[in-house]
Amino acid sequence: MRALTLHLKILILLLVALGVGITAYQIFVLGIPVTADETDDLWNIDAKVEFVASPREPVKVQMFVPPLNQEFVSLNESFISNNYGVSINRVDGNRRVTWSARRASGRQTLYYRLVLTKRYSGEQTKAEGPIFRDSIPLEGPEKIAAEALLSPIRQHSADVETFISEAIKRVNNANDDNVRLLLGGDASIANRARVIEILLSIAHVPMERVHTIQLTDEQIQTPELWLRSFNGDRWLYFNPANGDQGLPADRLVWWTGDEPLLAVEGGKDARVEFTLSNSEMNAIRLAQLTDENTEADFLEYSLYGLPLSTQQTYQIMIMIPIGVLVILILRNLVGIQTLGTFTPVLIALAFRETQLGFGIVLFTVITALGLSLRSYLEHLKLQMLPRLSVVLTFVVVLIAVISLFSHKLGLERGLSVALFPMVILTMTIERLSITWEERGGGHAFKVAVGTIIAASLAHVLMNIPELVYFIFTFPSVLLILVGFMLAMGRYRGYRLTELFRFKAFLKD
Amino acid sequence: MFGLIKTWKALEAKGIMGINRRNADYVLKYNKRSLYPIVDDKIITKERAVEAGIHVPEMYGIIETEQEIGKLREIIKDRQDFVIKPAQGAGGDGILVIADRFEGRYKTVSGRIISHDEIEHQISNILTGLYSLGGLRDRALIEYRVTPDPIFKSISYEGVPDIRIIVLMGYPVMAMLRLPTRQSNGKANLHQGAIGVGVDLATGITLRGTWLNNKISKHPDTTNAVDGVQLPNWDGFMKLAAGCYELCGLGYIGVDMVLDQDKGPLILELNARPGLNIQIANDTGLTLRTHAIEARLEELKARGIQETADERVRFSQELFGHVPPRD
Repeated sequence: MRALTLHLKILILLLVALGVGITAYQIFVLGIPVTADETDDLWNIDAKVEFVASPREPVKVQMFVPPLNQEFVSLNESFISNNYGVSINRVDGNRRVTWSARRASGRQTLYYRLVLTKRYSGEQTKAEGPIFRDSIPLEGPEKIAAEALLSPIRQHSADVETFISEAIKRVNNANDDNVRLLLGGDASIANRARVIEILLSIAHVPMERVHTIQLTDEQIQTPELWLRSFNGDRWLYFNPANGDQGLPADRLVWWTGDEPLLAVEGGKDARVEFTLSNSEMNAIRLAQLTDENTEADFLEYSLYGLPLSTQQTYQIMIMIPIGVLVILILRNLVGIQTLGTFTPVLIALAFRETQLGFGIVLFTVITALGLSLRSYLEHLKLQMLPRLSVVLTFVVVLIAVISLFSHKLGLERGLSVALFPMVILTMTIERLSITWEERGGGHAFKVAVGTIIAASLAHVLMNIPELVYFIFTFPSVLLILVGFMLAMGRYRGYRLTELFRFKAFLKD
Repeated sequence: MFGLIKTWKALEAKGIMGINRRNADYVLKYNKRSLYPIVDDKIITKERAVEAGIHVPEMYGIIETEQEIGKLREIIKDRQDFVIKPAQGAGGDGILVIADRFEGRYKTVSGRIISHDEIEHQISNILTGLYSLGGLRDRALIEYRVTPDPIFKSISYEGVPDIRIIVLMGYPVMAMLRLPTRQSNGKANLHQGAIGVGVDLATGITLRGTWLNNKISKHPDTTNAVDGVQLPNWDGFMKLAAGCYELCGLGYIGVDMVLDQDKGPLILELNARPGLNIQIANDTGLTLRTHAIEARLEELKARGIQETADERVRFSQELFGHVPPRD
């Protein structure tokens, strides 16, 4: 009826939409993990370079390393080499490491180690590549064979994409005489790729060799050759062995072009060995690492951007609204009476330091003793401030005594009472005694029990690690809470306890 | 669970008002926060009432500072009985009722003899905020001691019974007679164990009552029936209550009044958050009545009319009065 005005409805809708939207964006677009237990694959790639150095000659080893402008993010990269100078340069979209030494002899071993993950890539750079090339000149029978191959390819294809895959399929047909002629008896992948390049060049379709590593736990592997062509918009990747299109998600481009992986001057018997290992890592930790290592900054403006010690404080603070929500529900929906509005939340925070069970016992004991002192002071007719001071001093002494006893008894728990709970205790005693005077002992007891129940519930909820993680990572959830609280502000239904309070009406 | 939903539906059908509804639809809507001091401070309430010509127990004097305590003798002069109250006290705490003088000393209602120094100490306590909400500094109020009309003798235990009428925008909604019991220590506070007895708005005849959330028909201490008692000067109470809207500007209040045997109906205090047990005492929900009044207000607003206190009383009495007697 008049429960919610339009203004309030719009505000609530806006807050909830904003909260849901931001959280959804964080989860689905930024890919921030929903639970702290979520893990991500972490790949550890070792390239071991071995060669025999020629004596009395400077050594220069050049090797391609991944360009890392793809969907992978490098977390750590290291070059392990004794007595070698290391430099890295970029050539034509490739990255190349150069190890150099004035003098070396005997068997040499160099290591390149790369740690990378697939998640959290930054913006994709716009791909660029050639879309036209000159034909490779052919002579005699080879020319005729190539043209004989091309005409059915042309017939069976509609665009560059289908043309290339058709060409690859033809070249892989070992029964075709024309193919056999062009291959010249060498059916290796590299040679097939060469023939494919010739065919494509006649049609002026450019093609590039791509050398890839597969991210699997296989012990030792060699780079696999793939082909790619630029269609004016993006790169199309093809497997030269069967014409399959599209680079599998687990393939990492190591380098492109026709040059060999390794070039050694002043050495011989060079070889490279790749070893991959997979480990799992906490996803949110990984995201933080990624942030540090790249320019990606989706966590920059989250609470993870704060210094670590501040983060811990915020992990407690950000849960206070949850505690407040518990009190709100218990008071306005259930109808439990508590001491003050947010004293239970403060007590719940104090329970952090004392633990729940011990905290309840401690609070009960100290409050009971404090109350009896307060009622004794009542007879002396003291003014409020002096009376409060006496109660506070008494609480301090009491806590000191409890700490001392529990320490002597070997219970270290007793020492956990800090400054913060002490003030709350004094406040609780004072307010409880006022309630006692105004509304009687029975009511004060009811309020005290309600407070303990509310505080315990708030404490339990505020310390669920999954919930803490979720709200700390997605603070916009709080907007949804605010929406709920606003709606509660106009809630006019009965409280649960009122159903019992007004039971007398139903007895007729 | 199913039983609870049934209870919910039944209460809603009877128009029983819950705390959430009272706060959201009435207290928050009709009571401006800035006007609260008028009802929270009994001195301001009294001054406003005197200005508006509404009957209140006569105020003998105010003591605001420790120095002024010396003026106490001047204020009480040779009066035999008087009451000392904290202006912002709650729950009847800190109230000292002097019934008589005895050889230069004073005698409280309970028969205790106290000295002048003890009274001064009590006032000092009031000033430091011993009895005020939140412990703030307070003022002490010395006023006329109400002598309850003998009509209540048979259905009351000690103390002064009072009459509460809930008033919405000047229209009386529901009335209740509050009777102290042995359990409430002579205080007319329902939370402390006093009983509440419903009153027919039209006739001023008492209905049955409520005690600790239960329905009752006899006073637990005197065992006399509480229903069927004709309250004298009932229209006077109704007009007094209806006039309180103009007095304080708060739209939803509980007006607490007493019936003095000499001076008739007097206003004791106003309450900006009146309790809900009055519903059990009257065996009727507040919501049905408040909705009827709100509809009337809408109607009058459309026609641009404002009713006087007398007209408002008549409206309420016609609509809500003459409750058929229960079996």
